[in-house]
Amino acid sequence: MESKNMSEQQEISLSILKKRWLKFKTLRRGYYSFIIILTLYILSWFLPILINNRALVVSYEGDLYFPVFSGYHAGSVFHQDVPGEAVYRELKAEWKQADSENWLIMPPYPYSPYEDITVQGNKMFEEPSSTHWLGTDNTGRDVFSRLCYAFNISISFALILSTLNYFIGILIGGSMGYFGGKFDLIFQRLIEIWSSLPMLFVIIIISSIIRPTFFLLIFIYTIVNWIGMTYLMRAEFYREKSKDYVAAALSMGQTNFKVMFKHILPNSLVPVITYFPFSVVGGITALVSLDYLGFGMPPPTPSWGQMLDVGLSNIPKWWMVFAPVSAQFVTLIMVVFIGEAVREAFDPKVYSRLR
Amino acid sequence: MSNNTLVDVKNLSVHFPVYGGVFSKRIATVKAVDGINFSIDRKQIVGMVGESGCGKTTVGRAMINILRHVAPGVEIGGSIEYHFGDEVVDFAKLSSSEVRKYRSRVQMIFQDPYASLNPRMTVAQIISEPLQLHTDMNNKEQTERVGWLLNKVGLQPEQAKRYPHEFSGGQRQRVGIARALATNPDLIICDEPVSALDVSIQAQVINLMLDLQEEFDVSYLFIAHDLSVVEHISDKIAVMYLGDMAEYGNAQDVYHHPRHPYSKALLSAVPLPDPSRKNRKRIVLQGDVPTPLNKPSGCAFRTRCPIAQPSCAESKPEFKEQAKDHFVACPLVEDN
Repeated sequence: MESKNMSEQQEISLSILKKRWLKFKTLRRGYYSFIIILTLYILSWFLPILINNRALVVSYEGDLYFPVFSGYHAGSVFHQDVPGEAVYRELKAEWKQADSENWLIMPPYPYSPYEDITVQGNKMFEEPSSTHWLGTDNTGRDVFSRLCYAFNISISFALILSTLNYFIGILIGGSMGYFGGKFDLIFQRLIEIWSSLPMLFVIIIISSIIRPTFFLLIFIYTIVNWIGMTYLMRAEFYREKSKDYVAAALSMGQTNFKVMFKHILPNSLVPVITYFPFSVVGGITALVSLDYLGFGMPPPTPSWGQMLDVGLSNIPKWWMVFAPVSAQFVTLIMVVFIGEAVREAFDPKVYSRLR
Repeated sequence: MSNNTLVDVKNLSVHFPVYGGVFSKRIATVKAVDGINFSIDRKQIVGMVGESGCGKTTVGRAMINILRHVAPGVEIGGSIEYHFGDEVVDFAKLSSSEVRKYRSRVQMIFQDPYASLNPRMTVAQIISEPLQLHTDMNNKEQTERVGWLLNKVGLQPEQAKRYPHEFSGGQRQRVGIARALATNPDLIICDEPVSALDVSIQAQVINLMLDLQEEFDVSYLFIAHDLSVVEHISDKIAVMYLGDMAEYGNAQDVYHHPRHPYSKALLSAVPLPDPSRKNRKRIVLQGDVPTPLNKPSGCAFRTRCPIAQPSCAESKPEFKEQAKDHFVACPLVEDN
């Protein structure tokens, strides 16, 4: 009975993608990088409760407050003598000292990326210490907390950008390859014209006219960047459409749309998937360079590029250069490891150099 | 034409325009198929033979109307009239959307079983695809039908969950046959279904196809370049040369008493495992097949024909019924 179960288990067929996933898992470097990046990225969505200057829970004179979720509470609410919002770190210290019945719970790392020198107790250019793990910057903001928030923004930006580029690129490139003829010819010429736009200048010009936001930046990058994918997809669809399984699908009356996306697309995903991590790398770098030049996200949005800019103009404060550069380095190298491992997993050859 | 006719191909021509030059002007035409006539009756197997590049496959693809997908500029002339019940449908004239509802009646088995099955789909998905398109079966009925079909083609229903790469070439071709049979078609176009297979498997697959032909009452257009295979399976044989039909008739007549000089040469090349006929005369044709871009005037075969006359260059030979049900495109052999 047991042996029968065994053989049945072995008989379960694996789709090609599943096989590749299993192979990907054996490529330790890429797989662990993937796990780490994925975990960090998921964690980074919970940053407001992990790294924040607002308290998670405040119990003041019998009432409970949840400033992380409810937002702004003036200092006067808690009878604190500060202008504007309450400074929960100070409150905590005060209440502790006074042995008061009031209490509050701070997030594990109680500094927000937005608070600056105007908030009581903050100083400019503080060296890394146990309170400010990576010191503070030229306006007294905590570098570590900005680094973490910027990680979320960078990865989200790169992921959304790459996905959008892929979506448009696959749709247009795929149609060009599949339909061919005049459609292909016309779009190819349009793309050639479009791709001759100096994209960095376009972005700089637009950014200097309108104040860029996260989605505006994605939009601007997408309208120029989708082109790269069309070349790949056009070639893939062009090659795949001449295969007999496509003829078989057509001869049984499948519609063009279904043939394209049910039959051809799954067979042309190899360049898409293997290229994706590198496209993410490109997205991260693009945002960093724009922010560095000052045409990216509006201040005070935390971003690696902006941190780098400030750091480089205050180079003796080594932590302000060190932090964004190493964060970027580690992130990019891990994404590249993922990319390598994916490419390796899609390689039909069994023996490989990377292991 | 009898009442039993399933498809009547009249004067079918398939021309592929060739564009070139600075302004993409039409500079030439590939006459892949140049005016051929034949018909297939119900439950009949018609074998089609010829050298590589003679247009056999193009005829097959024209008959299921997928040429326009592959080559949008293709020019299809003549008619391919299918008789489905009382309906007469001309596949040569219908657009691809109009032809869609008749797709279930004509199916195709492809030459290369490694390319004709989508590697990302399981066998169950592959075979049930025509069912989804042309029947209103629910999932359970489809699964049952897939299992039944797999059984018919000599595979196990449990193998339905597997992917094509887990099968051998012969097994894959069986999957292709099951897919073609799924909607109970009237005609299956078999485009060299066994030439990619091992010789030992060829016989199995051919016999399977013969059994299924009787069981499903389906007609085959059997395209091949192996005459002995075609003779074994066919009721009628059509011999093609460079886009033209050289000879068409009952299998026995064409195989044993070929009339056209090309058919004679082709048949003399068939290897026979019979020592007593060791000294059989082989007709070896000189030269290569001319390019279909620039076909010889008159009879296309005259450049290689052992009995060619000056008159052959003047006009295209008439495709004439020289004996009962035996059409030959060569006036020189009419008197034998």
